[in-house]
Amino acid sequence: MPTADDIETADRLTRRRARMLPVLAIIFLTQQASYFAAVVEEGSRDVDHVKIGAWLILSIVMLLALTTGGFWFKPARIRALMDDEVTRANRTEAFRIGFLVTMIAAIGLYFITLFEPVSGREAIHILMTLGLAAALLRFGFLERRALKYG
Amino acid sequence: MAERLSNRLHDLRAERELTQAALAELVGVSRKTINTVENGVFVPSTLLALKLARALGRPVEDIFFLDD
Repeated sequence: MPTADDIETADRLTRRRARMLPVLAIIFLTQQASYFAAVVEEGSRDVDHVKIGAWLILSIVMLLALTTGGFWFKPARIRALMDDEVTRANRTEAFRIGFLVTMIAAIGLYFITLFEPVSGREAIHILMTLGLAAALLRFGFLERRALKYG
Repeated sequence: MAERLSNRLHDLRAERELTQAALAELVGVSRKTINTVENGVFVPSTLLALKLARALGRPVEDIFFLDD
């Protein structure tokens, strides 16, 4: 059974996560604006490949953080408390919104390609960014709401 | 017909002079879980409802009821 200290630590980290995720989502979205500006202006240079690599790594880290709850170096009992029923329900809802936004973006891209060519890489970039950012924002919002009445 | 699960968790917890953190410790969940159940933000699973009932020493029907 968890101790009072475990519960307090999990509570503190959960609040930190709820504050961090929306901020990370906004940083993530902002980073994409610079990526698309670079692609339009400069084309495919080495520096652009570095940017794309950084985006991919950041995307994977954020996807893992959203899926597992993050704080990987904390003890398992703390992480279990942070991944309670409420968090799992909030995550499921966040994934639902992320999926919906990805599908809507895919439909939008389909129509855009009728008038403007979009490369496969750009399409993946747009779909992953929007889907992941939407899920992160929704999860952050739900977690903050869950903590609000404390 | 709109049905909503209501609860007397706050009152029963107060009756036993337990804080949210103390009840969380008894049940083995986070304080956020207790908080969201108490405020009706989250509908708990059967497992959690039974754990709460056991921790408070009351039948589950005393804690949760349909508000229709």
